[in-house]
Amino acid sequence: QQLLSARPLGERLCSAEEATAGSGTYTRHGFIFSSLAGCLEKRSEDSGLPVVSVVRDAESQLLPDVGAVVTCKVCSINSRFAKVHILYVGSTPLKSTFRGTIRREDIRATEKDKVEVYKSFRPGDIVLAKVISLGDAQSNYLLSTAENELGVVVARSEAGVQMVPISWCEMQCPRTHTKDFRKVARVQPQFLQT
Amino acid sequence: MPGVVVLSLPPPPRAVHAGSRSPPRGRPGNMAAPELLSDEGYRADGRRPAELRKVRARMGVFAQADGSAYIEQGNTKALAVVYGPHEMRGSRSKALPDRALVNCQYSMATFSTGERRRRPHGDRQAGELALHLKQTFEAAILTRLYPRSQIDIYVQILQADGGNYCACVNAATLAVMDAGIPMRDYVCACSAGLAEDTPLADLSSPEEAAGGPRLVLALLPASGQIALLQLSARLHQERLEAALEAAGQACRALHAVLDRVVRDRLREVTALLGD
Repeated sequence: QQLLSARPLGERLCSAEEATAGSGTYTRHGFIFSSLAGCLEKRSEDSGLPVVSVVRDAESQLLPDVGAVVTCKVCSINSRFAKVHILYVGSTPLKSTFRGTIRREDIRATEKDKVEVYKSFRPGDIVLAKVISLGDAQSNYLLSTAENELGVVVARSEAGVQMVPISWCEMQCPRTHTKDFRKVARVQPQFLQT
Repeated sequence: MPGVVVLSLPPPPRAVHAGSRSPPRGRPGNMAAPELLSDEGYRADGRRPAELRKVRARMGVFAQADGSAYIEQGNTKALAVVYGPHEMRGSRSKALPDRALVNCQYSMATFSTGERRRRPHGDRQAGELALHLKQTFEAAILTRLYPRSQIDIYVQILQADGGNYCACVNAATLAVMDAGIPMRDYVCACSAGLAEDTPLADLSSPEEAAGGPRLVLALLPASGQIALLQLSARLHQERLEAALEAAGQACRALHAVLDRVVRDRLREVTALLGD
């Protein structure tokens, strides 16, 4: 991986036979052009041609894409769905939040008709979800938590204390010892800080 | 009609250049009109026919916007600010399912022209120029990368001295680049006119007001593709080629200037990061 000099956009980098187009570039008429003003990066892949991309130091706005795992905050719930604000895409924070919806049938993978939204999420919870659709004319991003690794990661009890998960569907407050129902995410051990 | 007094003003003084003996070229038959090109081949502000006005540009003028740029072409000053791509504001039904929506607003400051303007934006000319900007940038920005989102481009003219649309396009190009939104190529715009048979590049306000044909060209310089071409007043078909060629040359010269500005900015930004 070598970082070469700064390149303005529209410049012809190389022909499409010498390398494959990475991010910040586009191909036209068999040549690769840069579409961003930034630094040229040539990464050699093990299989096949090196990948040419143009990177900027300040990351430009990332949009949630279908299949991406996003971190969101629940803002309101309903008997049919929960509305959320998408805060992070992967591990990059978004400059402006996007709005998303988690429908009742997308909260769990099994027993979808027995799900109660009030027992899965509450306003203010931080939820890990996956984008299943970019939405159409009527709706915004559609998200799903129908996996073991997705669901509520941070929730506060009525006492205002952060709750501890005890099972996949319950969390307990360490101060008042009351149990609350949530659809809890099984966070991978490497992401837990102890 | 009673009560109406008609005043006739004396004709404006003719600009006399030392050594010119033949009558001035400009509007034929009107000796009092300011001449566009003198006998020695100089324009009213001392430029050669194919010469551009002095261009000064700066990127990253505002910290709070995603991208911003400021450009001066002669006395015309334009400011462009870009936000995005972000979620659709307003009606979600206008969101395009496979690409981003480019939303442009063109406004002229009330102090930009000789007489104070009443409405900065919202009038018909601003709406038309905003539509032209939208058309130009939808051709240049790779909108397919950002489905169902919106990119906002706001341009404001701080001082208008001819070539308003062109300065806006050039400023907006730099601002979009500053925001990190991928584009096919630079978009460079320039105006051109005709003085008898000589094409003039980059018209200033008095040259535009002279009433001759005015060609505005927005070009993607590397590929030579035209994003927008606008012609006002009438032009004979045989003269179109020459005027178009002059505008194209001017756009390419402008591209060289903007390229230098972008390279300087990149060098400055990477030096700040300690690369």
